Formats: sequence, structure tokens, C-alpha cells
Amino acid sequence: MEVGGRSAVRCEDLRRVFGAGEAAVAAVDGVSLGFPSGELTSIVGPSGSGKSTLMHVLAGLDRPTSGRAWVAGTEITGLDDGRLTELRRDKLGFVFQFFNLIPVLSAEENITLPLRIAGRDVDAEWLAALLETVGIADRSTHRPAELSGGQQQRVAVARALISKPAVVFADEPTGNLDSAASTQVLELLRRSVDLLGRSVILVTHDPRVASYADRMVMLVDGKVSSDTRVEGEDQVLRLMQTV
Amino acid sequence: MFSLAIRNFSARKLRALSTAAAVFFGVAMIAGTLMLTASVNNSFDDIFAEVNEGIDVTVRPKVAVEGEFGTSFARALPETLVEDVWAVEGVDLAVGAIGDDTITIVDEDGNRIGPPQGGPPHIAISRLPEDAPFQSFTIVDGAHPAADGEVAIDSITAESEGYEVGDTIRVTGAAGERDYTVAGIGEFGSGTPLGGASLVEFTLAEAQRLTGKRGRVDEIDATAAEGTTAAELATAISAALPADEVEVRTGEQTAEEDAGDIQEGFGFLSTALLVFAGIAVFVGAFLIFNTFSITVAQRMREFAMLRTLGASSRQVMAAVLIEAALVGLLASLLGIAGGFGFVELIKGLFKAMGFELPTSGLALEASTVAIAIAVGVLTTMVAALNPALRATRVAPLEALVESAGSTEREHERSRRRTIIASILVAAGVVLLPLGLFATDDIEMALQLLGLGLVLLFIGLAMVGDRFVGPIASVLGWPIERLRGVTGRLARENAQRQPGRTATTAAALMIGVALVVFVGVFASSIRASLSDTLDRQFVGDIAIVNTDGFSPIPTRIADEVSALDGVGVVSPTTLIPAEIAPSANEATVGGIEPRTLGRVASLDWTDGSDEIVANLAPDEAIFDENFAEQEGVGVGDELEITGPSGDVITVTIAGITTRSRFIVDQVALTRDTVLERLGARDDTTTFVNFAEGADPKATREQVDALLAERFPNAEARSQEEFKQDRENEINQLIALIYVLLGLSVLVSIFGVVNTLSLTIFERTRELGMLRAIGTSRRQVRRMIRYESVVVALLGAVVGAVIGLILAVAAVRALEDEGLELSISPSLPLVVLIAAILIGVVAAIGPARRASRLDVIQALQYE
Ligand SMILES: Nc1ncnc2c1ncn2[C@@H]1O[C@H](COP(=O)(O)OP(=O)(O)O)[C@@H](O)[C@H]1O
Ligand SMILES: [Mg+2]
Repeated sequence: MEVGGRSAVRCEDLRRVFGAGEAAVAAVDGVSLGFPSGELTSIVGPSGSGKSTLMHVLAGLDRPTSGRAWVAGTEITGLDDGRLTELRRDKLGFVFQFFNLIPVLSAEENITLPLRIAGRDVDAEWLAALLETVGIADRSTHRPAELSGGQQQRVAVARALISKPAVVFADEPTGNLDSAASTQVLELLRRSVDLLGRSVILVTHDPRVASYADRMVMLVDGKVSSDTRVEGEDQVLRLMQTV
Repeated sequence: MFSLAIRNFSARKLRALSTAAAVFFGVAMIAGTLMLTASVNNSFDDIFAEVNEGIDVTVRPKVAVEGEFGTSFARALPETLVEDVWAVEGVDLAVGAIGDDTITIVDEDGNRIGPPQGGPPHIAISRLPEDAPFQSFTIVDGAHPAADGEVAIDSITAESEGYEVGDTIRVTGAAGERDYTVAGIGEFGSGTPLGGASLVEFTLAEAQRLTGKRGRVDEIDATAAEGTTAAELATAISAALPADEVEVRTGEQTAEEDAGDIQEGFGFLSTALLVFAGIAVFVGAFLIFNTFSITVAQRMREFAMLRTLGASSRQVMAAVLIEAALVGLLASLLGIAGGFGFVELIKGLFKAMGFELPTSGLALEASTVAIAIAVGVLTTMVAALNPALRATRVAPLEALVESAGSTEREHERSRRRTIIASILVAAGVVLLPLGLFATDDIEMALQLLGLGLVLLFIGLAMVGDRFVGPIASVLGWPIERLRGVTGRLARENAQRQPGRTATTAAALMIGVALVVFVGVFASSIRASLSDTLDRQFVGDIAIVNTDGFSPIPTRIADEVSALDGVGVVSPTTLIPAEIAPSANEATVGGIEPRTLGRVASLDWTDGSDEIVANLAPDEAIFDENFAEQEGVGVGDELEITGPSGDVITVTIAGITTRSRFIVDQVALTRDTVLERLGARDDTTTFVNFAEGADPKATREQVDALLAERFPNAEARSQEEFKQDRENEINQLIALIYVLLGLSVLVSIFGVVNTLSLTIFERTRELGMLRAIGTSRRQVRRMIRYESVVVALLGAVVGAVIGLILAVAAVRALEDEGLELSISPSLPLVVLIAAILIGVVAAIGPARRASRLDVIQALQYE
């Protein structure tokens, strides 16, 4: 287990229990992990193993029942809603399975939305670079309905990166995409790690998606069952078949 | 389908409730009005039945012309007629009585008791002989007045003013004022408040003296001897008395007639209340339509799924309509309960003005329940009809495919809708001026206006979606400038479903249009009034009744003349009369030719001030509009019939224009009106101070004289006079605002409803916004601004429509001297009100949106 000091995200003995008494379910059950910058980590595991719950707690969207978590050096456990909101605004980026773009805003406006919410200026160069990188520079004025699913998700990735966050969380980002579009989105996430040095945490149950990562953490019943370097798709497939 | 509808209804209890709120207020107003009307009518039936109980025949002076107010201008009967009635075969008992509402009870400070301005009448009644089998006034404490210095008063007045047996009470009448000892406290009928009126019982002789009716009585009551029926006796008495002077009826007829007179007056109020209820129902219908449109749209998948399972489109429609009927039923039942609250509200408002509505037996009649339920259920179902039809158009395939709806058919439908809406707007625009300009029949005009407005509003709401985009962009611009991205999103959200926003805003538009219309119309009336007074009232003070309209004693003029510093005194009087040959009613004023020119200024169409100064007893001055209506001009001869049936012939000597403060319709010399048409009192007495007199000191003298000798009269300067009239108008306007306010309240519920439903639709989007760093406060702001944009949309368009209507209405009444006046603060008031409405409507939805569970919202489908 690797609890690095330079970790962008880190947690210790994290537990998240739903319900109480007989019906209590420990969705995350004593997880301690560190996610360094410049690394793409996939979190895999069967359906119901607690992947999403872990991500929610790490991202400050949900509160753990016990344990501690840090994002970019700040302990998030115990922060109030306002501070958590600020943290998400400044340090985190999100990509969801449903693209979750605002239909009335153009692609470019969707991308700059987090900055505008935070009341920060848009770095025009950075925006141009992002638009170029995600490959929708020529469609920046289109509204989401006029874009394909893959394009929409690339806009979502750009939105996650616009505020230069320390960490990007992506929960099944390719769940609604065909394989060609999936590849583009994954390449994009890969590049944001390699070129921009972000930490990306990618939740998936798809071995092909997991194999894009540097490292793969496998959850079973809320516990870490394996934590390995990714060497290739075959290895990932093998590991995932063991559960 | 029925069970599905019930399921849907109960699964969304909260929504059902908030949808029902849209109809609730209208139904409550209808139910309340019906209850109030029924109970007031019953009360008056009871009161007059009790009061006339035991009386077989009543004899009253014949009234040739009724006039608009309850005050009788007819001359009282000579007391000698009582003897004549006694002499009729079959009479067991005949009693002469006084019933006169020109007295005033005053407190120690010389002020009229009760509300300072207006208020219900004070009535003098005479004590009936002990052996009379009819006793309308029953003593509950003390005794009937036994001497001229004693009175008995009604228990309600005694209680509210704190009079007890043995106290002294001061009453003024035509003969001046006098202190009396309260000998007893009694109840009229069975103690039901007579609309707040105060009663003072005197001995007959004192009642006659005080009211200036020495040797006269207002009514003769008779009972029949054994073996004679009331009807027979009435016929017999009628035959024995001069037919052109008296009105003979049986006691029962009189009771019905008296109750009927008051009920008729009250009927106007209930009609007015029903109109306001209708407005609230109409506004509510918009919201029902909107809510059902939204929920049907949200449930299209569900309907498509039902269709794939084999449900017919009829069944889908039935499911929606049954749900609507249930919502309507819920609203009706709550509305009936709310009706009691509305009754209290109206009673409270009237009480604030000093009127006590008698609602002894406030009861829910079966017909009230039936009407309330019918209105609530039918309104809801009619409003849900279009959404229900839309639900039937869903193709079964839509359950499986995201959107399989044919856009071509949508276009066709939208085109048709635009055509229908244009026809409605056009029809409304045609009907409104017809109502305003084309007819003299008030009722017809109001109906045309009402229908025109309904069509216009529906049409506007239908095409509204076309305009939502551009207007919202303009209105949202400042918010966007000031508030950045939350403002931007709010504005975009308001424009996202233009149809919805249009209907929601339209509901508010109706209320605001009516409020602005009433406001501008009222300020125009105030301005015209002010202008009229400036031009026509050139004297120093006018002496009028403290209630603003009742008559004042003629002796005031003489006594004020005698004061130091008073220059010119010019009294005027006013009576209702009938004009021959047209048989129209007219208010006929009496003026003093020699002095009028010094206190008032007239504008002439035909004639000059010379004509007033030399007005002969058989000459008349006509107002231009009235002369036009009658089709007469200078030199024409007409007959005028006074309230007691006196007829005189006059020649028109001159025609004035825009001088209605002095010459309302017809003016004769005051002597003619007093001596030949039976007027007893003055209406307004104008006074000019003498040259060089100290105005302040003179005014003080006049005030002192009035306070001492005529407490029901007061002196008003031009400014004060204006202020009084304005206060009267303002009071009425306030009442109208409260009633219209209920419709506005309904439309606020509409904004709340629409916001809640759209927030529900955008759950996932909100979750995402929160996830990427939007604070709760920003979410609240975003919803609030959206609400404000919708409210502004409704208010601004509504204000423009209201303004146009008011301008048109004032134009239509230009002949009557009305001139347009728009308060410069109007735009600001509308803006602030709209912002407030938007902010208030957003409180609940914004809080809910900001408290959304982010994770659940993200997973929400
Ligand atoms: N809000 C919740 N309430 C109750 N149980 C929950 C809730 N969210 C998740 N769970 C439970 O926690 C476990 C893990 O869920 P989740 O993190 O969504 O798994 P995964 O994303 O790996 O499919 C599951 O058993 C699920 O039923
Ligand atoms: Mg999951």
C-alpha cells in the first residue's frame, strides 16, 4: 500500500456505512489509499463493490462514517458544505457517466462554467489549448444537443480540466459511449495526466478502460482486494476475472 | 384507468395540494360570497319580518322618485292621517311613527360616534304605545323613554360606545341638538346588527320635534279588528286616504319590500365579489393548465408505456382527466372551508369602514356546496383538457425510443395554435373598444369588456412563448450584468421552456394588468376631481355633512352668515327627480343665483354667468352631457317631478360644460327646489370670507359654530375637500386591491409550482452544478433570479396592458370630465413589486434546490 506524502488525494481507514442496525451496509469498509499527482488510477470492482461511494467520499460529495481523507493537502473530513464547495471548485474536476452538460449553454460556455461560478477570469490561452486538445475547437459555439455523445463527453473532460484541478474524478465516463468515442475520451484523460501532470481517478468496471491506467485498485465488498501497476489489458482482464 | 389516476393523485400528494391551491382561492371566494349573501339576505328577511310582526297594514308617504341612496327625500305624512286611518272600518289600532335617519349621535367632543367619515346611519324611532301588539324595539335594560328628555338606544351601540342606563347622550337633528338621559337599552328585532346602524328611541313628540317633522309622521301602522284580513284592511285604508300622497301595504308586503331594498343594495356587492372570484378562478385555470402540461410532458414515457401495454388513447386521456377532477374536488372542498375565511375577510374589511354585515345564521347551503364543487371540478377539468389531449398523442414507440415524436406534426400544431391565438387576441382587441365606446348600457359595456379581456388574455398566453425569448433577454440583461453566470443561467432557464414561462407569467400578467388599470383609472379620477375643484370651487370653505354626502340643515347658511368675517354664503341643495317627457331620473340641484357666482365658477356651452345671476324660479341650467342625453337645448320646456310627486315646468336657460361639481345634471334656484319640489335640507354650503377678514380667525369661528350647533356638519377648505374625496376613493381602491390581491396571490402560487416542477426536471443538472463547485447560495440565487425574470415578464407585460386599458377607458369617459393621470412612480412600483413577487415565490423552490442531495441528484434519471 502506498500512502505517499505528495499524494493529490489520500485516505486513511475510510468507512462509509449506509443504513443502521441489521440493514447496515458498509459500502466502503476500511480503505486507505494514496493517489499521487501525474498518475492515472482506475478503481475497478464488481457492481455494488463500493467504487462510486469511495469516489464520492474522496471528492467531498459524501461524508465518511469514519476515517479521514485529504485532497491536495487539505483534510476534507470535517469541512462544512461551504468549504467543501470551494474545494471542489478549486481543486477538483468531475466527469460523469451522463455527460451532464447544461443544454442552454454552448460548448465553450459549458467548459468555462466552473470558472464563472467561481468568479475567476478565463485564461484564454488555456481555453484555446483545451478546445484544441479535446478536438472541438470548431464547434465551440454549438449547444450540447448539436454535439455527438463523444463530443459532449470531451466537452465534459475539458470542463473538468479548465480550472487546472489537482485531481479529476471520472465515474464510468465511457459508460454511455461507443468504443471509438470511448477511446478518444480515454486518450484525453491519459494525456491530461502525462502532459499536465494531473491526478486522475477513474471508476470503471470495463477492463479495457482500466487498462489505460497506470495503476489499478480493485474493490470487493468495500475493501481493497488488490492494488497493482497496470502492465497491459491481458493482465487487467486476468485480475478482474479472479473476482 | 381510474385506479391509476387515484394512484397518481395520491403518490403526488404534495403536488396535488399545490396544484389545488391554484383553484382554491377562487372557489373560496365564490363559496364565501354565496354564504355571505345567503346569510345577509336571511338576516334582513328575519329582521324585517320581526319588525313588522303584528302589523297588518302600513301607510307610508308615496315616493315618486327614489334616488340612489337609502335616504328618503319624500315629505312625511300629515299626522291628521292617523285619525283618518282610525276612522276606517275594521281598524283595531292605528299608530303614527317616526323613522328618520338624519339624526346624529355625538360624543362629548361633538364628534359623530362611529367612524369619523361616513359609516352607517343613525336612526331616530318613536316609541310605540304600550298596547300596540307590534313592538319592534324591545327593552333589555331600563325602560322605554317616558319623557321628552329620555331616550333608549340599541344594545350594540351602547356596548361599542360605552353608554349605560342613566348616562347622558347628545343627539342632533334638524331642530338642533339636545342632551338626553339614556332611560333604557333595547334590541331591534332580535338584536341582529342592522348593518351597524345606531338606533335612538324617543317619545313620538320629541322624535317629531328633533327631526323637524312636527305634526307629521313617517309611517302609520294599523292592526285589523277581528274578522278583517290584512289585505281587506289595506284596501279599505287605501280607499280612505288620498291616493297620490300615500302608499298602503300589508305588513307582510312591507317587510318583503324593506328587506328587498337592502338586499338589492347588497346584491351589487355580491356581484362585485363574484366578479373578483371569477378573476381568481380564471387565473387559477391558467395554472392548472400549466401544471398539467408540465406533468404530462414529464410523464410521456409513462403514457407511452401504458400504450404499449394496450391502453387506448381514450384511457390515457381519462387517466389525466380523472386526476384533474380529483385535484378539482380537493380544491373545492378546501375552498368551501376557505369560504368561511373569506366571509371573515370581507366582514373585517367592512368593519374597518364601520359597516357591520349581519350574518347571524352563517350557514353552508347545499346549493353553495354544489356550485363551489361544480366550479372547482369543471375549471380544473377544462384547464386540463388540452394537456390530456396531448397525452393521447404519444406514440407507443416513444416508450422505447428517446424521441420519436414527429416534428412535422408539431409544426403544424404550433401553426394552428398561432392562428387560433391571433384570432382570440384580435377578437379581444375588437371587443374592448366596443365595450368602452360603442354602448351606453353599463351592463352591456362591462360584459363586452370582460369577454374581451378573457379572450385577450388567453390569446396572449397562447402566443406568449414567441415573445418570452426576446422579452426575457431584455429583462434578464441587468441581472446577467450584475450577477454573472448565475444570472445568465437563470435567464436561460426562464427561456428554456417558453410555453411554460409564458403561461406562468400570463397568470401574473392578468392580476397586474387589472391592478395597474384600477390604479391609473383611480389616479385619473383623483386628478380630474382635483382639477374640477380647482376650476369650480373658488370660495374659501364649503360646509358639508361629516359623512361627505348626507344632507345638512338649511339653517346652517343663515347662522354662518351672521358670523363676523363671513362675506358671502351660498347654500346648495340636491334631490333626485324625474324628467318628463323622457322619464329619466336626474339629480336636480338648487343654487342661490345672487351669490353662486362669488363662490363658484362655471364654464358655458350655451350661456354665461349672467344667466345664473338672473336665474328665474321657472328656469333651469343643464349640464352639456345630460342635455345631450335628453336631446334638449336652451329654450326647451321640460317637466320635473320631485321625490314626493310635485311637478313643475321649467325652461332651459343655459348649458354648462365640465361644471358637474356645481351643476351635476340640472340646476334650478334653491328656493324652487326647497319650496316646490319638497327638499328639506342643503347639501353643500359655500362660504366666502369678507374682504379684509382674517381667514384663520373666521374659519375658527365657523368651526366653533358647527361644533356647537351642527355637529354632523363640517367646514372644508378646497384642499381639505379634495383630501376627503381622495380618501373616499382610496378606501374603495384599497378594497379592490385586496380582492385583486387574491388573484395575484394565486399567480404567485403558479410561479412556485412551475419552479418546483422545473427544478425537479433539472435535478441532475443541479447535482452537476453543485459537484463542480456551485455553492448552495449560488443555486438559491439562480432559482431566485429565474423567478424574478418570470415575475418581471408577467408584471411588465401586465402593466403595459393595464396602462393601455386605462388610457382607453379614460378616453372613453373624457366626456364626463375624466383626464388621464399616471403616477410617475408607477414603473418603479411595478418593478419593485415584480422583484418582490419573484423573490418570495422562489423562497421554497430555491431552498429545496439548494438542499438537493448531490449524489442522489447525479444518479437521478
Ligand atoms: N445512498 C445509499 N443508500 C444505501 N445504500 C447505498 C447507497 N449508495 C450505495 N449504497 C450501497 O452501497 C454499496 C456500494 O454501492 P456503489 O458505491 O454504488 O457501488 P459501485 O459503484 O461499485 O457499483 C451497494 O451495496 C449499494 O447498494
Ligand atoms: Mg457505481
